[in-house]
Amino acid sequence: MSNNRDLLPRESLLWIFAAQFVALLPQLAQLPLWIAFAWAFAVYWRLEVFRGRRDLPGRPLKFLVILLTVAGLALSYQRWFALEPMVALLALSFTLKNLELVSRRDAFVSLLLAYFVAATLFVREQSIPYALYGLISVLVITAALAAQLGSFSARPRRALGLSVRLLAQATPLMLLLFVVMPRLGPLWNVPQDTSAGRTGVSDSMAPGDFTRLSKSAEPALRIAFDGPIPPPEQRYWRGLVYSEFDGRTWRQGFGVDPRNGGQVYWKSGERPLPQVGPRYRYRVIQEASRSPWLFALARPASDSAGVGETLDDRLVKRTPLYSRFAYDVRSWPRDPQAVPIPLSSAERRRNLQLPADGNERTRAWVERLRRKGLGAEAISSQLLARYHREFTYTLSPPALGRDSVDAFLFDSQKGFCEHFAGSYVFTMRAAGVPARVVAGYQGGEWVSGEKYLLVREYDAHAWAEIWLDGRGWQRVDPTAAVSPERVRNGLESAAGEEFMRDSLLPVHRIDALVKLRLQWDMINYRWYQTVVSFDSEKQRDTLQRLLGDISPLRMALFFAAPVAVVLLAMLLWTRLGSRGRRRPAVERLYGVFCRRMARAGIARRAGEAPRDYAERISAAKPHLAEFAERVTQTFERAAYGGEASALKELRYLLRWRLLLLPRVPINKNKLAGQ
Amino acid sequence: MAPVVESWRALTPGLIRGLRKMSSNGFTVQKIVSAIVSDIGSVLLGKERQVKLALACLLSKGHLLIEDLPGMGKTTLAHALAQVLGLSYKRVQFTSDMLPADILGVSIFERESGQFHFHEGPVFSQVLLADEINRSSPKTQSALLEAMEERQVSVDGETRPLPQPFFVIATQNPLQQSGTFALPESQLDRFLMRISLGYPTREAERALFLGADPRLQLAKLKPRIDLSTLKKMQSLVGQVKASDSLLDYLERLVLHTRQSSDCALGLSPRGALALLRAAKAWALIHHRGHVLPEDIQAVLPSVAGHRLQSDGGSGDQLVERLMRQVDIIAA
Repeated sequence: MSNNRDLLPRESLLWIFAAQFVALLPQLAQLPLWIAFAWAFAVYWRLEVFRGRRDLPGRPLKFLVILLTVAGLALSYQRWFALEPMVALLALSFTLKNLELVSRRDAFVSLLLAYFVAATLFVREQSIPYALYGLISVLVITAALAAQLGSFSARPRRALGLSVRLLAQATPLMLLLFVVMPRLGPLWNVPQDTSAGRTGVSDSMAPGDFTRLSKSAEPALRIAFDGPIPPPEQRYWRGLVYSEFDGRTWRQGFGVDPRNGGQVYWKSGERPLPQVGPRYRYRVIQEASRSPWLFALARPASDSAGVGETLDDRLVKRTPLYSRFAYDVRSWPRDPQAVPIPLSSAERRRNLQLPADGNERTRAWVERLRRKGLGAEAISSQLLARYHREFTYTLSPPALGRDSVDAFLFDSQKGFCEHFAGSYVFTMRAAGVPARVVAGYQGGEWVSGEKYLLVREYDAHAWAEIWLDGRGWQRVDPTAAVSPERVRNGLESAAGEEFMRDSLLPVHRIDALVKLRLQWDMINYRWYQTVVSFDSEKQRDTLQRLLGDISPLRMALFFAAPVAVVLLAMLLWTRLGSRGRRRPAVERLYGVFCRRMARAGIARRAGEAPRDYAERISAAKPHLAEFAERVTQTFERAAYGGEASALKELRYLLRWRLLLLPRVPINKNKLAGQ
Repeated sequence: MAPVVESWRALTPGLIRGLRKMSSNGFTVQKIVSAIVSDIGSVLLGKERQVKLALACLLSKGHLLIEDLPGMGKTTLAHALAQVLGLSYKRVQFTSDMLPADILGVSIFERESGQFHFHEGPVFSQVLLADEINRSSPKTQSALLEAMEERQVSVDGETRPLPQPFFVIATQNPLQQSGTFALPESQLDRFLMRISLGYPTREAERALFLGADPRLQLAKLKPRIDLSTLKKMQSLVGQVKASDSLLDYLERLVLHTRQSSDCALGLSPRGALALLRAAKAWALIHHRGHVLPEDIQAVLPSVAGHRLQSDGGSGDQLVERLMRQVDIIAA
């Protein structure tokens, strides 16, 4: 530190702060606010030091600050070993490093850490805006590094210019590595903080849940088909099955979710597949939902890693979706099982479960129908006919009382999918027919430009399934009875004026904006397809397309060829560049001598004069002394005395005499004899 | 140590003629040099290298700055050199109250003739020893340094040439000592070489204790060379050959000082020329008709040490590094 050279260049300090700010900014939105204040405080203190008003904090003060921050972290987070507290810890230590930013080495440490902090951004988000932001961060941090070089390098244009040039040079390498770098699976999974809520279908359904979803136009699924595309009325993306009802809320119930003991077939083929080929093949790209549920048409099977099939014909993922996830699915939605497996008694009990009391009017109504001797399907059609005759579809239904099914069926008669599905299943169960509520998405918008189906949050939907002996589970959508356009054309046309009424701007009414949004979604889709989801499988495909067949030799060639080409170009360039001043022949010949001597173990040091070198050779290798002396004398005469004959002699010495040089020391006597 | 010129073909015709002429007079460069060096060596023990450097400086018509602590033999060297070369010698002890006129001379009105008569100052001599030059004020320093560069003195509107040859040996104390005025870079540049003598070796010091009083010995020194021979030798320096390879090396050295981040200031063209001239003189002293890289390396610390400035460390360390970093043959 005593050396002036190691001290931080003064003008580069602002660059370091800029780099820190850029790296921290996206984190600050997620982290507790006091961390931002801690950073501001550290920067303020360091600036005061810079202005000579304060000293760098001493050891006790630093210790106190560490204690305070650790206490702050402990208060802010209950769980320690999760992603967010770890990111917070990283951000804090990064922040506090400012308090001991003295030497150039400290600056390097801080800036290298800034790269790391900037990279943690991608743990959460991998979308285009974030990728662009990541690029800007790298640019600024590299500029800050360039600013550490001293001698006016901290001027904004110079630092940024150098940074841009460096990154531009690194880009081809980055692209190459992107394609060929082996994709490793994550070595471990960082537990994430799941407390933060996120829209999407949840594991329970209470009145009002779906209204919340209907206000969000966020994309939920993007589905690309390989082969036929299901017609709109068949697009039911099943995600969850609710079979437990407590009088108000529908839940999955115990023993369904893999997390509480439900059976899941994780391996493909573990469960017998239908004999015929699948009706639909498609790939679903699902947005991060922080839950493990995946969405697919009825009777799905998937070979994607980490995806399993549950007993109630859904797909789940082993770990919650913290980032976008893509999976391939085959579905047999309309193929009835040839011989349906009879419903086990446990399953039958589960799907007939009702609260002991409540909703008496409904129960009485069903009892009347049953006394008439009507079967399951007749009761179902009676109910659907009632829906069709008397009920209205609205997104803002009136509040329901304690007996919500009674109130809906007999009083308000206004509601949307969850009301219809819930009351339908309740009624069917009361009639002794096993039934369950299914939640997921219905419909989707066909994006013809990229050929995929875009399903948004407001496409969330709930419907019912009833068990018919001999036919298995049959889908019944009571909403379709009251509002067929909801199923055919989506929520927008069904809800009409009510659709997205609470949103600040009626964007969905402006045609151009709707188109623009669709365009943006297409770009996002392409980004995800080509960049983010570039996994080992796609990598293999790409390489196969490029190379034909992946063998180690071809891989090596593919790796080495661009590098070799670049190096060769550089070599040629430098050769051509220095062509104007080629080494004189004398010096080249002397270079031959120096290399030969270096092989014998005595390399000439840079700046060592020929005479000194000859003396060193004589001292170390007496058997080479005579030759070295002769070469040196001749070289001096040729190079400095300007004797043409000496050049000839030198050429002779180094072309022919060199070959006769003894490789090992010869006996002195023998040498004398010669 | 120094290889004798093996063939006369290596020498330029002028040099051959010059050397022959001197040989016919019973002199050879080699003989003269060895006589001078041994003569001075009897007074200044164990400093053969510095004596040769001083001689090379004189032969290449440059001025010499000796920087060392008091009592190291700076004055002895200057005096002995003047004595052996048979030149007129004056010595000025610089003090802080000295005025330019004290060095250059002054016009005094003489009543008898009724005219102003110019009394020459000590500067009108062939060898001027400017002792402790950094004790005087900058004004006086500049007066001397101007005379050194122009080799003439202008007083009262009249320009008077200085005797030929004109050789200034200035001594200065290290700057940490009190009561000194540092010479600015521009004036340091006027000196071809800066050398320092350093403490004598143990043997030399023992010989000094045992031998006679150096001052008496100094008085006994006889001139070894006459003025015309000295001038001839000076002209021979210009004819020493510097090959392309050598000039390439010189260029690389100079370029390195200008481009390397080590040096705050690079070597000026005057400095580069001085380096070449000094190397030629060094080659001549060693009886060689062409310059070798060793010659440049031998004079480089003395010639470049006071012209280079570095951010950290002294100029001498910089020269050390320079020699290690710049290769003799092109890369």
